[in-house]
Amino acid sequence: MRGYVCVDSLEGIFTGIYRAWASGLGHENVRLFLEGEYEPELFTEYEQVEAEPEKAEKVAGSIRRKISAAAFFHVCRCALSREPDRADAVYRFLIPGFRHGAEILSMLQLPAVERVFSLSRRVGNEAHKYLEFIRFKQTAGGVLLARIAPRSRVLPLVAPHFADRLSGEAWVIYDETRREAAVHGVLEEWYLARLSTEEAEKLRDLPESGDGYEKLWKTFFRAVSIKERENPRCQRNFLPLWMRRYMTEFQK
Amino acid sequence: MEIMRTEPGLEEKLRILADAAKYDVSCTSSGVDRKGKPGELGNSAAAGICHSFSADGRCISLLKVLLTNHCIYDCKYCINRRSNDVERTAFTPDEICRLTIEFYRRNYIEGLFLSSGVFRSPDYTMGQIYETVYKLREQYRFRGYIHIKAIPGADADLVEAAGFLADRMSVNLELPTAEGLRALAPHKTRETILRPMRRIQSGIAQARLSMGQSARLERAWGVKQFSNGIFREDRISRRDGAAIGTDLHGSVPAERPFQGVFRPKRAGGTLRSFVPAGQSTQMIVGATGESDYQMLVTAQALYERFDLKRVFYSAYVGLNEDSALPPPGARPPLLREHRLYQADWLVRNYGFRAEELLTEERPNFNVFLDPKCDWAVRHLEHFPVEVMTAPYEALLRVPGIGAKSARRILSARRMGSLDFHALKAMGVVLKRAHYFILCCGRQMYPVRIEEDTVTAGLISDSRKKNWQLEHTESFRQLSLFDDMHLEIPPAPEDFLKAAGGQI
Repeated sequence: MRGYVCVDSLEGIFTGIYRAWASGLGHENVRLFLEGEYEPELFTEYEQVEAEPEKAEKVAGSIRRKISAAAFFHVCRCALSREPDRADAVYRFLIPGFRHGAEILSMLQLPAVERVFSLSRRVGNEAHKYLEFIRFKQTAGGVLLARIAPRSRVLPLVAPHFADRLSGEAWVIYDETRREAAVHGVLEEWYLARLSTEEAEKLRDLPESGDGYEKLWKTFFRAVSIKERENPRCQRNFLPLWMRRYMTEFQK
Repeated sequence: MEIMRTEPGLEEKLRILADAAKYDVSCTSSGVDRKGKPGELGNSAAAGICHSFSADGRCISLLKVLLTNHCIYDCKYCINRRSNDVERTAFTPDEICRLTIEFYRRNYIEGLFLSSGVFRSPDYTMGQIYETVYKLREQYRFRGYIHIKAIPGADADLVEAAGFLADRMSVNLELPTAEGLRALAPHKTRETILRPMRRIQSGIAQARLSMGQSARLERAWGVKQFSNGIFREDRISRRDGAAIGTDLHGSVPAERPFQGVFRPKRAGGTLRSFVPAGQSTQMIVGATGESDYQMLVTAQALYERFDLKRVFYSAYVGLNEDSALPPPGARPPLLREHRLYQADWLVRNYGFRAEELLTEERPNFNVFLDPKCDWAVRHLEHFPVEVMTAPYEALLRVPGIGAKSARRILSARRMGSLDFHALKAMGVVLKRAHYFILCCGRQMYPVRIEEDTVTAGLISDSRKKNWQLEHTESFRQLSLFDDMHLEIPPAPEDFLKAAGGQI
């Protein structure tokens, strides 16, 4: 068994797929792993794969051409998941994918297809939750700042929504698990940025404007609940505790 | 000594007017897709976006407030009725606009839900609502979601003008029968409620036709084709009214036909749509003696005749002391409300009719089984259904199969045969569905398909859930980080130390 250890990015995973496919060892004799996210096995040789844009581009191009744009979308979303088998899941999906073409998307009875779909769906659902639960703070400098700690890498999925909605605002959404931020200037395109520790700390310590709307929101949040119907279990179902960490209304 | 009356501050007003608005249940932000515009604030997504969940587990999507809780009416069920001694206050239109904009920028809300007590007169109140939405749209350039109430009895032109600025409008029916309304809301009549509803409906239809859409609203995929469904367009006009809610079937004249003269042009010269997300209404559950059957038939008539997007149900919370009402402090009928929502969903999206789920002889829902399971065990002649060949409509009627899983089955079975494992992966709830389906001619377990065995199996599955609905106080495990609001998570070394017993 040969294991290809990829860098955790779309490029890294696609390069890994290219190398594994081109190795000619046979699909059952190769597996993809992610850097820092695997337990070494005794009878597997590991090979480190650096991300190479040209190879990744070739893989991306063939998925779009030979399967479909929709398949490419699911593969990309799957790669944003936090499950350690996401790289290998994409590889296993592409094997029947290249054989059947666009029809592969409806073949949910194949375990490989089902896996990619469920990972993609999970990431999509989490990203949707963050459209709902991201909370911006007004900083004194006028920038809206949000902090999140998501499980999947949701930034590339949520940023376009806010770029459309808040096009006239300067805002930053900071993913502290990956120390990565989506940055948007007034009437500009948004971009992703990796932050150093100092930058992240500086971002965290930006002073708030203190215009009182947070307090008003908390007042509203409390007033709108009906006491006779209180149901914390139902509330937790829709809004799990781990997601509440940076939500204004749940902070003291 | 002179008694001073000071005007409450903004926070105090928000507390009073949000508290007074909370019994209105509708809080959806769905039904309209609108892209943002560079430099303007807001957009809208057709699926709707919830932004938080309050302690009662209800979603908070919109800033739901009353313009004022002053009211000239004395409806018995309402907390804001004239004869109640509660703090009264009112927002100015600008205060509401600023709150909406600032909350929206911080991603607290998806838009505004504006309702109001009737202050001075219906016309005056509707005028204030119109002024607020006008400012919000034209002055503050707000492109998010707006839901407003049409005040019964207000001038039809005011309602029409407001409708061109809002995404959704609603008029609350409050009680399913005219008798109930007469008993509890002596100042309102059925006609003052149905008339604006009819006018909004014709406004929606005309605006849709003028933009090349069908007159009636879009519905879930496939629903307009179901053989028995309520949205089959070729059948709607031919159906006779059921015995209940006959006045819903008669012709309710809009006092003046919809004119469209208030239709503003947008910057690009395109026409504005009229209430693009459709209209909704609300009925109170358990304040009067109406049966579930009466409620559901009324809701169905509203969907058919008035093309409503949604009907909401609100379990009555005892607020006022009155001989015509349940005593204050009585538990709100939550399970009943839940069953009504389930049945409403079946009627709207699954092709059931109200008369299939309930009848005059069996007018109330089964406490133990949800309406779909209940229907299925009473109609075992339709089952089992072969998953590989059954039409979409038949799949949807199987308990445990929903719209998503049914559509996944449709596309997957064209490509090859399915097994139970694959069905599970597609989202079919097999613990309910397995009594009712065959997959490639085989049953999942050898169970006898007869009413008693199937019912017993289904009930043991749903008993826990129903109990939880009625008994909401329950326990959970404390979590250090979530409950203590600790800011700094422990470092990996801390875990090691903790494991080694050093902390």
